[in-house]
This record gives sequence, C-alpha cells and structure tokens, in this order.
Amino acid sequence: MTIRPNGRLQIKFVAAPLLVAALIGFELLGLGVSSEELLVHAGSGDVHVTAPRLHFLTGKSLQRLLDGAVVPFDFQLSLAAGSKSNVVARSLERFSVSYDVWQEKFSVIRLRDLRKSSLSLSANAAEGWCLDNIFVSASALPADRQLWAHLEIRSVEPRDQVLPVRDPNISIATLIEIFSRTPRPQQDHWSLESAAFHLADLKP
Amino acid sequence: MKLALIPFLASALAGQSLPPLGSTGDLDTASQNLVDEARATDLNVNSRYVIESITFKDSRPYKLSSLALAEMHRLVGSKLNSESLNRLAERICGELRAYNVTFKLARGGEPDAVKVLLEVDKGPGKFDFSVPTFVYNSRQGWTGVAEAAATFGPNVITVGGVSDGDTLIERTEGVRARYDRLSLGSDRVRFAFQLEAYRDEYNRATLDALDNDLSSSLGAGAYRSRLNFEPSATFVLAKPLTFTVGLSFEQLQPDFPAAQSESANAVINTLHYHRRWDSDATIEELDAGYSLRAATKMLGTDLAYNRHAVNLRYGYRHDHQSVEVKLVAGVIYGRAPLFERFVLGDSSTLRGWNKYDLDPLGGNRLAYGSVTYGYRIMRIFYDTGSVWDEGKPVAVKQSSGIGVSGGLGIFQKGAFLLAVAFPLRQGHADPVLIAGMNF
Repeated sequence: MTIRPNGRLQIKFVAAPLLVAALIGFELLGLGVSSEELLVHAGSGDVHVTAPRLHFLTGKSLQRLLDGAVVPFDFQLSLAAGSKSNVVARSLERFSVSYDVWQEKFSVIRLRDLRKSSLSLSANAAEGWCLDNIFVSASALPADRQLWAHLEIRSVEPRDQVLPVRDPNISIATLIEIFSRTPRPQQDHWSLESAAFHLADLKP
Repeated sequence: MKLALIPFLASALAGQSLPPLGSTGDLDTASQNLVDEARATDLNVNSRYVIESITFKDSRPYKLSSLALAEMHRLVGSKLNSESLNRLAERICGELRAYNVTFKLARGGEPDAVKVLLEVDKGPGKFDFSVPTFVYNSRQGWTGVAEAAATFGPNVITVGGVSDGDTLIERTEGVRARYDRLSLGSDRVRFAFQLEAYRDEYNRATLDALDNDLSSSLGAGAYRSRLNFEPSATFVLAKPLTFTVGLSFEQLQPDFPAAQSESANAVINTLHYHRRWDSDATIEELDAGYSLRAATKMLGTDLAYNRHAVNLRYGYRHDHQSVEVKLVAGVIYGRAPLFERFVLGDSSTLRGWNKYDLDPLGGNRLAYGSVTYGYRIMRIFYDTGSVWDEGKPVAVKQSSGIGVSGGLGIFQKGAFLLAVAFPLRQGHADPVLIAGMNF
C-alpha cells in the first residue's frame, strides 16, 4: 500500500475501515433485533416462545374481526438443531379469533382442543394467549446441540376459511399441507426466528 | 404435499407436543373428534347474541329466491350461527352471481342483539347473460328476451334482443341497449339511458281492424319500425317509495316508405312503492305503481296524448298457502299510437282469452283484476277485466286456470309457470297453454 501525499486518499483510507465497521455494526445490530423478535424460554418441560413486538391482529384481519367475522390464524413453531434447516420438532395449531361486538373484546379458541379457549381479551392479550398455547416438548430436543426456534403465522383468507364442520380433513395434516405451501401475496403472514440457544441455557 | 405422505409427516413432525398420530386411523379419529366438537360449538363469540335483522349494506333491491328469503326470515330472531350465515351468503352469492358475499355484524337496538349486514361484491368488472322473459302461449306463440350485461362499479351496460308477441298488440322484434348508473352522488339517485330499435309485425285481425277503423282515438296506423331514446332518473323519495322522471323520444316509421315518420315524444313519470313484511311463517308483499306518459307538443311530438296507468299487487303467504291479488287500471286521453294502447288477453292478464278476439287494436280504457290462490307449487287463478275505447260499451270478460308455479333449479330467481287457462264464456271451452318464466 502506497501512501501518497494526497489528503483525499488519506481520508478515503480512514473512511473505509469506519464504513466497514459501521456496516458490521449495523448488521450485528440487525441480527440482534431479529433474534430478539422471538424469545425462547422453558416451562413445564416444554419450550415456549414469546414475541413482545409481534402484532398479528392488525390490518385486514383486524378489520374482518371488527366486522364480526371469525378469523383463523395458523401457527407453526419449529425447532432446528445443529443447523437452521435441520428441523427436529414441530408444533402446529389453528387459533380462531373473534371479536365481541358488544363487549369490544377478543375471544380465542384453540381448534385442536375446543375446550381450550379464552374470552374477553384485549388485542395484545389475545395475541399473547395464542403464543402461550403453542409449544414444543423439550424431551424431543437434543441437549448438547445448538438450537433455533422459528415461528410462522398465517391468517386464513375468507375464501379458504373452511370451518371444521364443513371439512372433516382440517387437522394437523391439513396444517402441515398449508405450511408446505408459500403464503399467497394477499395473505397476512409473519415469520420470526430466535437467536441460537442451548436447551440448558433456557430460563423459565 | 401429497396426501399420502400427510399421516406419516404428521406423526413424524408433530413431536411430543402433539397427540400421537402414528397411523391414518389415529389421524382420522382426531379429525373426527375435531368435527364433532366443532359441531357443538360456534367459534364466533357473537353466537351468544340474537339476530335482530338481516339487511343488505348497500340497500339495493336485490331479487332473491323465496328460499333465500325464507332462510333470512328463519335466521332473524335466532342465535347467531356463523355456519348458517355463511351458507346464506353462499346462496345469495350464487343467486346474484356475485364475486363474493360477506356478512358484517353491528350492535342491535337491544342489548344482546346484533344486526347482520350483507355485503355484495360484484367484482371489479362482471359480465352476465340472462333470459329475463321467456313465454310460450299456445295461441300467440313464443316471446323471449335475452340480455347480456356488463357491470363496472356502479355502471351497468345491458344489451339485449327482444322478440315479443305477448305484451303489445303488435309483435316487436329488435334490440335494446341500456346504460344504468346505479348511484349518482348518492345511492338515492340513479340515472339510466335506454335505446330501443324494433321492427313491428301485425296480426291479420289487427290489420283488418285498422282498415275498418273509424276511431279518432288511434294516433297512428300500422308502423313498420320504432326507434326510442329514453333518458331517465330515479329518486328514492323515502324508502321504499321511488320516483322516476324522464323523456321518451319515439320515432315511428310508417309501413309505406314514402309516408313521413311520426314522433311520440313524451315526458315519463313513475311512482313506485314496494314493501315486504315478514313475521312468523307469514310473508306479506305490496307492490304499487302509478305511471304517466305525457306526449306534449312542447317536445315536438306529432301525436299528443296522456297515458295514465295504476297497478297494485298484494301477496300474502302463510306456510304453504298463498293468495295474490292484482289490480290494474288505465286511461288514455288523446291520440296514442298502438304501442301505448292497453291490451288484455296475453300470458299474464285475462289468461285464456285471445287479445285479438277482445280488441285487435287495444283500447284506451282498462280495468283488470286477478286473484291467485296457491298451495305449495299448485296455482288456481281467476282473472276478470275489460279493455275498451271511450264511449263504447264495456264488455267484462272472465277466465280461470290451473297450473304449477315456483322456483325450479336454475329458475329459482323467478316465477316459473305452467298453466292451462280457460276463457269463461257460453259455448265451447277453448283452453290455452301457457308456459314460461319471469313474465
């Protein structure tokens, strides 16, 4: 490297490492934000997730709810070990959300177990209740390997909104098939990933 | 993903957070449990509320089948059931051939009651083909109207072909085109423009009567063709009362090319009232109208006349029984052309009589009444009335008939009628077969 008595070049040499450092910093910051979106913790032998900044009762889905419709949301929580593509455990749920037009509160039912429901919730509480009720058993996970959690949520479009009474095949199998497809452009969907973690490091 | 793989993947991927789904049987059982439980539970938290009313959000007068109306009637007063409302929305979507029909809930007037608002999405642009009228009368032959309509938002363009030997004294064959603007600033104002071009043909009896006619009330003789331009605006005065005002510029081309054409330019006014009352197992419907066509020299008309017509229809239905009463009256002052003159003895009035036997030129006075009793799809009717010219004796005629009517498959939207009608007169009975829909 030749240093020339040229102020501009010297400035460039000084600026370049700064720029690189800034980019790396922003990238790290970005990764940090991404990891922080989905927080993983342990509870009763299961792996749970929370997403403080996630709000899926918004936009078109929220408008449909305020109009009195039932809006189902499909959830998929998957755990990968060793590498992000090596999924070792998965949990799938469909939650049906509705909005009480008189009480102005939300109600959520977990479709796989209709006895599991919660009434009179705020929007934040309804979102939180859904996340509380999707989890993966910790016993299925390797304790010695690095893990990643990935959460995917999709709203069900009105045209696809086939209630169980009309489609006996709506089940885990149907949910697996739904998540095997890419979401439609007009479909509300969210995808969050946790930072890498070890099972032993999880706190309640 | 292939369905055959699903049970395997379900069990492989479910991990321990899911119930064991090791076989297809288990999966089926789990699904069936889900179905059974869902049957017992409406997922909508609003299912605890009673439906106070079901209306269309845009307040348009959609034409629905009696089955859809009965379903709406059944749901009002019951607890909200999303599945039933979805079924109703699907049915209405099919009947209106809409892109989508959804429902919205709003608080009702009473606590624990909700209003259901149906929203019809006709789609960004829609083409529709329909046969609004199709009739066979064993004396007067076929009548049919076919239309193609394109809808773009609140704009509707309709183009149709007509062959009508039933409604007027003459048979008209031709085309008509219409533009409708369904809202003009507000839903309370609608605008329309219609263009009609018909070629006219006459029955022998009419031509003979024209040759011998000494009546001063007939405004024009036989004309070969008609061309009509008709702009109009409809105002919703106070629901369900509407008022239509417009202009009709009608050009009559005489049978002889050398003769000059004549015009019948008129101001048109129509007051229309339609109301329906639903209560337990009973439906009442009232349809009333008054129309005035005033052909005035101010519009440069060659034929000056005023045509007044009133009509009233009342229907009462309880369970499987129904009664319908129709009253029509009209009077023409001045010299009106043939197409404006009143006619009885077609497929919907004084059924069983031949209009050419009653008056081959029509009349400028009309009085008509009809009573129909129905049980399920069976219908028995009695018609009476007279059409005559001012100053001439009034001959009241009667007829009766029996038939079947109702919605059948694709004809659900309109009344389908197959009937045999008899003119009530001394001497021989000469039945007429009438079949058709939407007339």
